[in-house]
Amino acid sequence: MEVGQMQRRLVDYTKSLFMEGFLDAQFLQLQQLQDESNPDFVVEVVSLFFDDSEKLLNDLTMALDQPNVDFKKVDAHVHQLKGSSSSIGAQRVKNACIAFRSFCEEQNIDATLRCLQQVKQEYYLVKNKLETMLRLEQQIVAAGGSIPMIELGF
Amino acid sequence: MATMHRVVQSSVRTSDATTTSYDGLTSCKAADIVISDQFPAGLRVLVVDDDITCLKILEQMLHRCSYHVTTCPQAKVALNLLRERKGCFDVILSDVYMPDMDGYKLLEHVGLEMDLPVIMMSADGSTRAVMKGIRHGACDYLIKPIREEELKNIWQHVVRKKWNENKELEHSGSLDDTDQHKQGHDDAEYASSVNDATDTSLKPLKKRSYSKEEDDGEIDNDDPSTSKKPRVVWSVELHQQFVSAVNQLGIDKAVPKRILELMNVPGLTRENVASHLQKFRLYLKRISGVAQQGGIANPLCGPVEANVKIGSLGSFNIQALAASGQIPPQTLAALHAELLGRPAGNLVVATDQPALLQATPQGPKCIQVDHGVAFVQHSVKSESSSSKHFSQYFAPVEDVASGFRSWPSNNIGTAGPSNSGGLSSQNGNMLIDLLQQQQQLQKPQQRSTVSELRRSINVQPSCHVVPSQSSASFRAGNSPVSVTQNGSYSRTAVIDYSLLSSQSNCPSLNIGQVSDVNLQTTGVLSGYIPPASVSPSVSSCSVNADNCASQQDQTSSMTFKASRRLPGFVHSTSNILDPYGSTKSGDLLNQEPFNNLGYINKGTCLPAEFAVDEFQSHLSSSSHGKVFSENIGTRVKQEPSMEFGDNAKVGIPMLQQFPPNDLMSVFTE
Repeated sequence: MEVGQMQRRLVDYTKSLFMEGFLDAQFLQLQQLQDESNPDFVVEVVSLFFDDSEKLLNDLTMALDQPNVDFKKVDAHVHQLKGSSSSIGAQRVKNACIAFRSFCEEQNIDATLRCLQQVKQEYYLVKNKLETMLRLEQQIVAAGGSIPMIELGF
Repeated sequence: MATMHRVVQSSVRTSDATTTSYDGLTSCKAADIVISDQFPAGLRVLVVDDDITCLKILEQMLHRCSYHVTTCPQAKVALNLLRERKGCFDVILSDVYMPDMDGYKLLEHVGLEMDLPVIMMSADGSTRAVMKGIRHGACDYLIKPIREEELKNIWQHVVRKKWNENKELEHSGSLDDTDQHKQGHDDAEYASSVNDATDTSLKPLKKRSYSKEEDDGEIDNDDPSTSKKPRVVWSVELHQQFVSAVNQLGIDKAVPKRILELMNVPGLTRENVASHLQKFRLYLKRISGVAQQGGIANPLCGPVEANVKIGSLGSFNIQALAASGQIPPQTLAALHAELLGRPAGNLVVATDQPALLQATPQGPKCIQVDHGVAFVQHSVKSESSSSKHFSQYFAPVEDVASGFRSWPSNNIGTAGPSNSGGLSSQNGNMLIDLLQQQQQLQKPQQRSTVSELRRSINVQPSCHVVPSQSSASFRAGNSPVSVTQNGSYSRTAVIDYSLLSSQSNCPSLNIGQVSDVNLQTTGVLSGYIPPASVSPSVSSCSVNADNCASQQDQTSSMTFKASRRLPGFVHSTSNILDPYGSTKSGDLLNQEPFNNLGYINKGTCLPAEFAVDEFQSHLSSSSHGKVFSENIGTRVKQEPSMEFGDNAKVGIPMLQQFPPNDLMSVFTE
């Protein structure tokens, strides 16, 4: 597929992510932060986010698996995940975290377990989407094209 | 870890321009902001956040704003970094929720120790959280996710603070006000001398509010009446006088006016005394508070509180503490270091003991800690911002020795960890190793002096210092780091502020131990590495020991090593006299003994003759030898990079100069 076509695909795909709420304006900020001096910025940050989140999700799973759940700890993890997901613009993950936290406050085991599932699901979804998007970008760059700037009319 | 490492690396490497480099600390100016044409470009920002993703994003955003960025995923490391490189940052951005240390705590420390604006960040934007931040003295509170535009504006806090400080400087007259203010704040948890320029209306609430007067103004003793009221440098002698005055009056009755009268120092103003007193009180409080903190990793510390009597602090009697064996030497050292740490070479020397530290006002001051107690005194010159830093603590260095006591004699010459169990068990990280090394180098008699020194130095360690029998242990050569290079050496004890923290961390003390009556310098450096986890070393170690020259390089290498580095706590980069001045703050407190003594050579090497004599005169009890910090010109301070934490020990490259010393061995473990 030729570069122009790939670029259009990328733009459409990225737009859809915003439309569907997977990503928010913060992600745009990240994209804007990428420049010649830091050409892989988005990829790096996204990778960091993935690593960090997987770890957090593991910790959360373990924490909720205890006979005596330490909700403070759970809350701390969720807070952290909320922070990093919001920094990267993973909106749905962030929202799931917000709900998660309120159930943590109530110390509701069942609800928090459900929330954990929800968060995980959102996380894997956005991870998938981001990876697809980044792959598309790579292909464009490999083909000699440049990444088009997304203009979103928010 | 890897990511952290990466982050650290990146922060170091990115910005050739922007990221702070750890080498030329000398270039760091004392808190002054240079308002250049490109201002606010080049603003030096320290970002502390445990979330690596956020850290990276912030770093990039700040780069975009043309700021110099240093990132740090761990609060403790950041604190050490700040202590070491006092003048190297203009503003701090800190996350609120962090695993190793609460952001508010960091905020307080910074406020107390360094007069820098701190901006909090959090995903939690609730009014309650924001209010808490303000109450703790934050200049601003940003809610995550943070936008670049918000970061662009952070320079305003820096400027505002500076201007307010200047205004206050000119103010010298409203004493009563400040006094009262201070009194009011006395009870505040963390009264910091930092001027909090941000919101005068909230002054009463802020921790830092009371400091207005330039307690830290450096007043050269020889030039008390400059129109601009230089900051007062609380040198050892000065502090000594202060302490004696306070003792005379009784800690409860000590009011600035009377103290001033008793001290009878020309050029010293009531405000200076008042602010110093304030800090002192805080320090005392902190000591006692620390003693009580459960957080003190060192089990020895536990009982400290019993011994730490604030009441008796008037006389700074760490001996009592020491006697109780509670205070880990490191703490003492740290305390001492703190005391000494004052950039202005404020050595806090035991009031009645002959302060072994001798700080000569001239350039680098070498504090000779006679008894093994090494005070890190950096001769921090005015330029180092550290001056401000230490002014806060002039802990009664009563019994620093006690702190050192525990240092095992092993330190002498032996590898670091060999430090006598006493110490090592306690703090492990102290520079004690170094000191010990030093000790070894020195003649045996020095050891004894060191021990004496220890005794004499009453250090109120903010961290747990386990005072062991002072003399005894000292002889054993516990003195934490006695650097005795060539016989003379001034060590500046850098007190790790971590000592101050209530955490168990042992502050890294750079205690230069200069012991010995005949000027042998036994530098006792206790590098303290706070027990905190060692985060990727902040290259703070790179303190430049300009004077010490050689060592510097090493330090820089130390930074960014694998996570375990604890940046030496370099007190004042510029003027660290002692060759080994380095305190590594590591969290080694509980770790292996002296593993992590890191000496950070801070900047200056002590000039050869450290006015020992002067010092002597100040010491009330000069029973303990003198601490001479000879210039350790030859010795370069290095900042040993210590790896704390689970295990790593980073050898400290410093002291290359020391020929036969086995300093390095100290750190080898």
